[in-house]
Amino acid sequence: MSDLDRAIAQLRACRLIPETQVRELCYKARELLIEEGNVVCVDAPVTICGDIHGQFHDLMELFRVGGDVPDTNYLFMGDFVDRGFYSLESFLLLLCLKVRYPDRITLIRGNHESRQITTVYGFYDECIRKYGSANVWRYCCEVFDYLALGAVVLGASSELEPSGPSPMVNNATQSTMAMENGGLETEVLNSRGEVTMNTYRGRQRSSSDPNPPSLRAPGTGASGNGAASTASRTGAILCVHGGLSPLIDTVDKIRLIDRKQEVPHEGAMCDLLWSDPDEIDGWGLSPRGAGFLFGGDIVKQFNYKNDLSLVARAHQLVMEGYKEMFDGGIVTVWSAPNYCYRCGNVAAILELGEDTSAGGTVARSNGDYARSNGLTGNKAGVRSPGRRYRVFEAAAQDTRGMPAKKPVADYFL
Amino acid sequence: MALDAQSSCDRKRVKVYELRDNDWFDRGTGFCTGQSHDDDYRIFVESEDEPDRVLLETKIFKDDGYQKQQETLIVWTETNGTDMALSFQEAEGCSVIWNFVNAAQQHLHNIAAADDALSDDLEFQPITLPAPELGNLPEIDHMMRAASITQAGRDALSKFVIRDEYIPKLLPLVTMAEDLESLPDLHRLCNIMKSIILLNDNTIIEMVVTDPIILGVVGALEYDPECPTHKANHRQYLADQSRFKEVVPIKDPLIRRKIRYTWRLQYLKDVVLARILDDPTFSVLNSLIFFNQVEIVNHIQSNGQFLRELFSVFGPRAPDAKRKEDAVQFLHQCAGIAKNLQAPARANLFANFITNGLFAVIAFAIKHPNPSLRTTGIDILVALLDHDPIMMRGYMLRAASEKRTPLTDTLIDLLHVESDLGVKNQLADAVKVLLDPQIPMQDPMGRMGPDQYAKRPGILPEAAVQAHFEESAKRLFMPLKRLENRATLNDLTFQEVALHSHLVDILTFFVRQHLYRSRSVIHNEALAPRVARLLTVPQKHLKLTALKFFRCLISLQDTFYQALMTHNNTFGLILDIVYETMPRDNLLNSACLELFECIKRENIKPFVLHVVEKYGEKLKNITYVDTFQSLILRYEQMQGYGAEGDSAILSSQEDMTPTRGIPANGQRWQGVREMDSAEEEYFNTSDDEDEWPQGQGPNATTGAQTSNGVVSPVVKPLVDYPDDDDDDAMDTNPEAEAEQKSASRDTDLPSHDPATDSPESPSTPVSQVVQTPPERLSEKRRREEEDDDELVKLTSGPKRRSSTNAGPGSAGLLRRQRTISFGSASGGSDKAAAAQGTSGGGGGVSAAPKRIAINLGSANKPSPSDTSPTTQTSSEKENQGQEANRERE
Repeated sequence: MSDLDRAIAQLRACRLIPETQVRELCYKARELLIEEGNVVCVDAPVTICGDIHGQFHDLMELFRVGGDVPDTNYLFMGDFVDRGFYSLESFLLLLCLKVRYPDRITLIRGNHESRQITTVYGFYDECIRKYGSANVWRYCCEVFDYLALGAVVLGASSELEPSGPSPMVNNATQSTMAMENGGLETEVLNSRGEVTMNTYRGRQRSSSDPNPPSLRAPGTGASGNGAASTASRTGAILCVHGGLSPLIDTVDKIRLIDRKQEVPHEGAMCDLLWSDPDEIDGWGLSPRGAGFLFGGDIVKQFNYKNDLSLVARAHQLVMEGYKEMFDGGIVTVWSAPNYCYRCGNVAAILELGEDTSAGGTVARSNGDYARSNGLTGNKAGVRSPGRRYRVFEAAAQDTRGMPAKKPVADYFL
Repeated sequence: MALDAQSSCDRKRVKVYELRDNDWFDRGTGFCTGQSHDDDYRIFVESEDEPDRVLLETKIFKDDGYQKQQETLIVWTETNGTDMALSFQEAEGCSVIWNFVNAAQQHLHNIAAADDALSDDLEFQPITLPAPELGNLPEIDHMMRAASITQAGRDALSKFVIRDEYIPKLLPLVTMAEDLESLPDLHRLCNIMKSIILLNDNTIIEMVVTDPIILGVVGALEYDPECPTHKANHRQYLADQSRFKEVVPIKDPLIRRKIRYTWRLQYLKDVVLARILDDPTFSVLNSLIFFNQVEIVNHIQSNGQFLRELFSVFGPRAPDAKRKEDAVQFLHQCAGIAKNLQAPARANLFANFITNGLFAVIAFAIKHPNPSLRTTGIDILVALLDHDPIMMRGYMLRAASEKRTPLTDTLIDLLHVESDLGVKNQLADAVKVLLDPQIPMQDPMGRMGPDQYAKRPGILPEAAVQAHFEESAKRLFMPLKRLENRATLNDLTFQEVALHSHLVDILTFFVRQHLYRSRSVIHNEALAPRVARLLTVPQKHLKLTALKFFRCLISLQDTFYQALMTHNNTFGLILDIVYETMPRDNLLNSACLELFECIKRENIKPFVLHVVEKYGEKLKNITYVDTFQSLILRYEQMQGYGAEGDSAILSSQEDMTPTRGIPANGQRWQGVREMDSAEEEYFNTSDDEDEWPQGQGPNATTGAQTSNGVVSPVVKPLVDYPDDDDDDAMDTNPEAEAEQKSASRDTDLPSHDPATDSPESPSTPVSQVVQTPPERLSEKRRREEEDDDELVKLTSGPKRRSSTNAGPGSAGLLRRQRTISFGSASGGSDKAAAAQGTSGGGGGVSAAPKRIAINLGSANKPSPSDTSPTTQTSSEKENQGQEANRERE
């Protein structure tokens, strides 16, 4: 068992690794991340996750629901730290997994992966508590500076494959679904990872095509309408933490950012990590004081121009775990159930299947994602990907004891 | 009412689920109806198979939290605590029932509001709870919950709990229930205790942490019904007396007690109540802690006897090593608490510490063999720096002028040899702040002319400041300088890589903080070529750090630094990195692209000319992004009829730049007379304007070459690093040319070209070819307009170039107008949710810890990325965030 595997095992048990090991880990991660583009290209199948916020036990729950690394490929859209009491354990585990399985897990930066924010919202404090000095905080912040700003998922299938990857789900209860244009499935899972509810419906985009939501008994997978899959290309999916930026009209522009810096207070990099979609036209001022609000027209334009079928983002608490907006052009994925241990929300992850119709090969290669490839003339034909949202609740209290901060050990005053 | 429309005949097919042991249990499928009688609203579900069987009958209360999820789900919690869910077959059915529930609750609310108006007097009735016994706990629990709903009820309950000394009466029941092993009773006691604490009453919380009852209270809280199988061990933790340590005993019993209570409050906040704390209670805990700490710190700093004893621990006759370490820890904790105090109290504390010999303690700690103690020592130092950097620098300067070894020298020496990378990191940060060349005073540029320093008593003269800075910087950057003696940089050790990375980072910081002060060091120590060499090391992050340095120089748009870059092979090395990383899309590659994008975007002519002229071939081969082709295009536009512009002209033009930036002897930075920002802008502004005509006419060659001659005496000392082992890689052309043309010095300097008086450009005394054909002028204007069209972001106006100082991108205006208010954040927003969070570190009274790392962006330089309004905005942003938190509390 390598040191790294040992560290992973230890962190999985919610026990911290020594400071020197953290330093080693962060240096290794740095070497790895420096090779990643500002926008990482990821091939489907991949499971997209939103904010974690130091809710370590819920992250474990997420892995139970979505399948373990490296069996499932993951893309985490930032905000690993702050608020929850186990930011260190959560982030270090994800980082360990990243170093151990670089191709299986992708981490991109959230607005909380910043020095300023972490000093206010808990991560700094936690590092001091748990390691006695700010050193580990510094190492982590250094890694934050190297994190990619976004990712593009290529080769996603427009159909939903039978949901199999979750080890806890009984395959017998699943059935294949195939939709003309991107199916959408929701599974609600209980604490044991069993599907308690499963809804499946056609794409919301075609509102003229009422595909009545069907009621399923718990544990029985939804069945599709059985339409033969017309294998066709799905547009790429852009994943960022916050949203779009008025300074970024093509995905390629993101490449021209020198990302190795503290998250600035304005500019493209800031917007990508801070913006929110809103029911407005065009751009609006963000109540957050950083980033912008952007409307459906912006998303539509951006997706069209960049040959994208979907923008996946996190950054906003949604009680249902996920929320699609603008005819399914953008989705918010939130992966911290019962946020702050009290918001009462459920969490979700988004699974994108692999399009095997083209023999498993992906048409576009690294760095090529936003360039025309002969198919752009047929933009109307861009299909949206089949999406399976797995909704889950906070880890059962019993499995984690009572979440709390680490108390002060000794005191003089 | 709308309810009537929801008649009972609307039968919706639905499945009923009940949460049992964390599983959704299927209670069956049936038809759902909403029914109302008078003010009684109920949801019925009749079984599909047996129509007589009622699967569900639930009454709607006004405050029940019903949730609609995913179109077909309604979820709520029954009054008995059971979680229920209705899963509808059709979204339509779901929305019908959902509307019914909403309307019902709305109606109930209206009724309740009417009732409240009548019952206000009633609510003020004092509440009396029965004397607690195990038998009546459910009743007490229920009464407390009911009373807690309204503010009046809470007030009445608080009064009763205090007056009746109710808590001590409850505590014996905990032991009793434990003896009986009656978990339900313990759970109830826990709930009752939670309710009492969450009444959020100062007096109650203060009472809870007192000696007689604290253990009983946390004992009850060990049995949280939300974690039924888990028992915490708060009592064991809090009963452990050994956790309290003393270096010098504090004699005042009142203060001793405060210390103990504060510790308990912190434990309550962080552990016992961490998950359940609501914002008001969180805030009450924080303020209690804060006021205790104020008293404790006041006591300590005003207690001369105590301080003398404390610092005598470090005296020469005190050999107790453990005690010294403890004393350092003690001081560290004081400094940590001081961060939260108000500035005058903090200043008093530190002043008293310093008088008693705090610096000696820091010196002791940072040389300690144990890295964790070194860290602690630097932490104390950083606390002082955060508190008042000017004061700290004052101490350093005084020490230097009194020929004592200043702390900075000690720190620098330690930084060079420190092997613990964490400590090294901290040392670097401390040195950075201590030597920060920009003295933060009223004068934003940090300029202190010799005639000005008298205005601030206690501040040493500018010359001394500069001398101290140079000396320290020389010492600091020695390892960087020594790089010139290394044949190869491929064998840098891990430690060296870390050190150089810190040094370059500090150097970048210095340059950004103060345009001029670092010049002599960079020049005398020939640091720029050393940093340039680091662009070739195999360690990519070090490469990146070096690249950052040059990126910073570019953004300064300062002629001195521009000359540094154009007279070394810097761009060649950067382009090498582009080539190395080219097909791939990675961080290093993006950083390089961004650098060239910046040159293109800001249209920094000396660089455009230099890069295209010297590395044109290299640029042409980079086609995977259009950045480099656009640079070439820009260059061609600059050349006007550009095609024929020969290389001699161009290299001479880039040499012109330093002519104006550094007149006479290239020693402008030495503080004889600092450029003010207007002057600086003037120079920057004139740079490009006067270049237009030069590159055009047939006479241009002559004119340009003479101007090159002007440059030579200036440029030579800047770029001629005779001992540079990189010489072969450097551009030796300018020198040769310079010598060749030096004879023509001064001839053209006073000449004044009418073209530069055009509306777009301020009139500037520039070297110029006298005869400019008129058609050239119009040509020039036309091209400038084109230029403007391309650079959308450049605002129009007489001083076109000055717009480069605005924020990047067209959004600048929009952003400046943005209002910042977190209070009004929408319900689903991150920040708003954050405001509810218990863990928001800044949510309480305590201010966020200031980190020196945050100083990074605060340069008061007109550089495009670091404008001071931005920095201000950011702090506003955070403050707003905290205020939003507080508002909720």
